[in-house]
Amino acid sequence: MEFSLDEVEDEGPNRAAQKKVGKDAKEEGDLIEQLAAEKEVEGPEEPVPAREETVEEIYAVQQIYALRLKRFEIAPSAAFTVNDKYLRHPGFGVAANYWFTNVLAIGVNFIWYDWGNPLERGTTLVEQIQRSFRLGVPINEWQFGLWANFTYVPFYGKFSMFRKFLFQWDSYLIGGVGVMRTKPIPVFDPEIREFNWDMQVSFNVGIGLRIFLTRYLTFFTEFRDYMFLEKFENVNVDPANRDDPSTWLAGSSTFFNNLTVQFGFTLFLPIKFEYRLPK
Amino acid sequence: MMNLARKTLSRIGITVAVASCLLVGDGLWSGTHSASAQEVHVTGPLADKPAVMKLRLWRKNRLQLEPFFAFTVGDDYSRALIFGGEVRFSFLDWLGIGGWGGGSFVNLNTDLTRQVRDKGVTTNRNRLSLPSRENFPDQVGRMNWMAGADVHFTPFRGKLAMFQKVFFDADLDFFVGAAFVGITERSDTSIQVAPDGTQLCDPPAMDTGCLGSQLARSKRVAIAPSFGVAFQAYFKEFMGIAIRWRAFPFKWNTGGTDEAGPDGGFPDGQINSSDRQRQFNQMINIGFIFVLPPKIKTTD
Repeated sequence: MEFSLDEVEDEGPNRAAQKKVGKDAKEEGDLIEQLAAEKEVEGPEEPVPAREETVEEIYAVQQIYALRLKRFEIAPSAAFTVNDKYLRHPGFGVAANYWFTNVLAIGVNFIWYDWGNPLERGTTLVEQIQRSFRLGVPINEWQFGLWANFTYVPFYGKFSMFRKFLFQWDSYLIGGVGVMRTKPIPVFDPEIREFNWDMQVSFNVGIGLRIFLTRYLTFFTEFRDYMFLEKFENVNVDPANRDDPSTWLAGSSTFFNNLTVQFGFTLFLPIKFEYRLPK
Repeated sequence: MMNLARKTLSRIGITVAVASCLLVGDGLWSGTHSASAQEVHVTGPLADKPAVMKLRLWRKNRLQLEPFFAFTVGDDYSRALIFGGEVRFSFLDWLGIGGWGGGSFVNLNTDLTRQVRDKGVTTNRNRLSLPSRENFPDQVGRMNWMAGADVHFTPFRGKLAMFQKVFFDADLDFFVGAAFVGITERSDTSIQVAPDGTQLCDPPAMDTGCLGSQLARSKRVAIAPSFGVAFQAYFKEFMGIAIRWRAFPFKWNTGGTDEAGPDGGFPDGQINSSDRQRQFNQMINIGFIFVLPPKIKTTD
């Protein structure tokens, strides 16, 4: 195959497009195209690819203050049950999570509830019910709870305080499954009845709020509902079978919601990390 | 083979364990991963500028109207469902005053009230507190209406991303003030023993077994401090939502029972103001915020 000037001077569709582009460029004030279009063609020209007008918008976006991806989280906390009117259940908890994405974590949390004599943590309402209505209140004590959880962070935000200080925070959803170790406190026949600790399957869901104090230390508060089927003491005492342990527990289980507010701190490990920018 | 004493072996073991912990711990504390955040060093035209520019003034010199639905929480015997409204005017973006009020359209019995109704036992020792278990739901205290005035303090405000797609402004509104609560309680009464041993309550006269006094009601207005916090989110320049927790503790006789005498002794055979016990009353509001004027202003 031979190339000649006739070939390049042949005005094909590309050539027409070139001229049109040159004309448009002149109208639109593109200096380089304008100069190229005004120049007389004296020799063979290389075919120029058709140009398209592009408009780019560039946004400056502040990067996320603290990433969670591939970090461990250790979170000690204090837990307070808010819906048990008869017995207070203060707890000390600790949670450990691993963030496998920036918004998803898997982990465990543990709460210890067994602090001394539980009857010393009873409210005045128990006394009032016994005195005014001649009713006993079956109550259970808890030893600990242990759950495996997933955490998801759908909300992320920042707050300013008086337009001077900025702090970052997020809100997360949490849920999982585990066990609660509980036992009834003998109230109706305390001379005879004695109960052992027993494990109950427990589910939990909750919502939390985490405020970043630094990139590795946060303060958090959670509202969790630890749900389980609780076995209470049988309120009836059968004089004929008083010593029979099979009559000591209520016939059916009671679905119990342990609504808990937790406060604590979170430590992210490693505390230092590198922000990788897209290339 | 060299034999080491048990003590020596245990020392070596402890040393190795401590060294391992230090190595692993050091790795955790100082190791680097690809996850990170940036260090912002502001230079150029943004240096020394305020933390927020073009700040939207959601509250300053604006009136907020908030119809709400509310319910009381943590009640012993009766839970109130309330419809109401709130009006707030803010002189500054972080400081304002407001008034609120609402009426209870339904009072729900708690599980404890149902348990007493079904299983309560009346004897001569507790006849004044529980004349009849069937009528117990009619002797408990109820909230009828409530109103109050507050000072609102909004130091924290910002923006929030939801699922990294929806963005809106939000703030935390702290408030403190006074509340006036209209309540219905069991009327004052006292129990006496007739010569024939029958227990009577007075008033009403000749109320055998106190059955009449159990249903006698009296109304009053309780004055209480009121305080709480709200999360407010704005979706339009003139509209948003608020989730509000409010506490208004005061003394009242929620169960209609004989709890104490004038000197704190128990029981004194009378139901009166001495039997009122301090209750940490709380409610949760969910409201829609409408803001006037609808056009919002921004700072420089």
